[in-house]
Amino acid sequence: MKRTHTFLFVLYFALVSLAAQSDVIGQGLDSAALAKAKSPSVTLPMREGSLRLAVFGDAGRGSKEQYDLGRVMADYRQTVLFDWVLLTGDNIYGPDSPADMKNKFELPYKSMLDAGVKFYGSLGNHDTSNQRFYAPFNMNGEEYYRVERSGVSFYALNSNYLDKKQLDWFAAELAKDRNAWRIAFFHHPPYSSGGRHGSDDEVRKILHPLFVKSGIDVVFTGHDHFYERVKPQDGITYFVAGAAGKIRKGDLKDRSPITAAGFDSDLSFMIIEFVGDDMHFQAISKAGNTVDSGAIKRRD
Amino acid sequence: MKFVVNPYTLVFILASPVFIVTAQTDSTGTQAQDVRTDKIAATAFENRVKEYTDRREAIEAGLPALPKQATAKQIDAHKKALLRKVRASRKRARRGQIFTPEAEALIRKIVIDQYPARDRMELKKELAEAENKSVAVKVNGVYPEAAELLEMPPTLLVALPQLPKQVRYRFVSTSLLIVDRESHLIVDFMTKALP
Repeated sequence: MKRTHTFLFVLYFALVSLAAQSDVIGQGLDSAALAKAKSPSVTLPMREGSLRLAVFGDAGRGSKEQYDLGRVMADYRQTVLFDWVLLTGDNIYGPDSPADMKNKFELPYKSMLDAGVKFYGSLGNHDTSNQRFYAPFNMNGEEYYRVERSGVSFYALNSNYLDKKQLDWFAAELAKDRNAWRIAFFHHPPYSSGGRHGSDDEVRKILHPLFVKSGIDVVFTGHDHFYERVKPQDGITYFVAGAAGKIRKGDLKDRSPITAAGFDSDLSFMIIEFVGDDMHFQAISKAGNTVDSGAIKRRD
Repeated sequence: MKFVVNPYTLVFILASPVFIVTAQTDSTGTQAQDVRTDKIAATAFENRVKEYTDRREAIEAGLPALPKQATAKQIDAHKKALLRKVRASRKRARRGQIFTPEAEALIRKIVIDQYPARDRMELKKELAEAENKSVAVKVNGVYPEAAELLEMPPTLLVALPQLPKQVRYRFVSTSLLIVDRESHLIVDFMTKALP
């Protein structure tokens, strides 16, 4: 009898250790429960009155993982108090009927929507153009647009369809922009170390020279289902934040010369804060672990 | 050393600039003619697309206006009503009414100009791997919302005849489609757009 108890205790201990280990490497057994137990650990400076946002993409699958990550985001929001979210596209996979919009967007982020958080959409290759009218995406009927706040301009672009009209609009907006910070967000990454998609050469050929010339400081993209911070390219920092619905494990190429940091073993999202000439960032996994953090100086 | 020039050689040397200039003029003339022909084909193509978008705009104007901050239900209802009415208005639409043989030739030429053979092979490979292969391509059919919308290569988009905002170019394999942006109606298409 005593021996059975000892065996059960050892088995229980082994299982608990295994679960904790899995959590650390980002493959949580029940990560929602584990994450809930983990209180948010914030590396941002949390300066009073600063602008704070969250960034994520490739989320809208309606999967359990999406909901789990949504809960972690909501937990962080209560500490970080971000009230804007930038979406890097693929907001709704598959059909986008009213029921789909509910299951793939409104319910996973219900607590944030209820708290008044504003989401700003950009369109991915799985999104239909009609989403530009969807009120919670705040696109006001436009596939590309600019919003600004606290001296920061955010340009949402439609990288599915970079036609002359859009490029002309972008150039005209940049010419009249007087904000110190200029951020672009869209779906297809000009720089990425993904094995499945990787850098989009066509998008890079068109947009990167424009970004360099016009003083874009930071670019957020998705499409590849992982997190990556790319080494500055001509002074511009590119992020891939496409891991909010499904992870493509092991897709981040080993020893990619452009990777500054990466994480491809669990879902993740980002939080950012602007303090003067610095943009602080933190990437957080579904298990609640910080997988990257730091600060980026604004380009002169 | 005495330098003797053969008279025939002298005539040839003196006449060559004339030949070269004439050949260049002919080549420039042909190029100019090609540019004019391309321009005519592009304008005619754009006009045919505009006929579609004008009719479609008139139909949309008869529907309840979609607010810029709409609910999912409003968007869905608008999309379905637009599709139903536009489709009904073009029951006789046939393939090739917009992509005429002249337009197809122009587009293939633009593709060849934009993409060297190796890049075309690369693009074909990407299109073959895309998740939209199962889309049934037919005029007045619908591009399914569940299918991936392939990114159009921006350098090609800038070179192709420009489309009004209501319609989009889309690739399905090597077929190039014109698709209505809101209703997803396939307005017309051409095959073998990547020679």
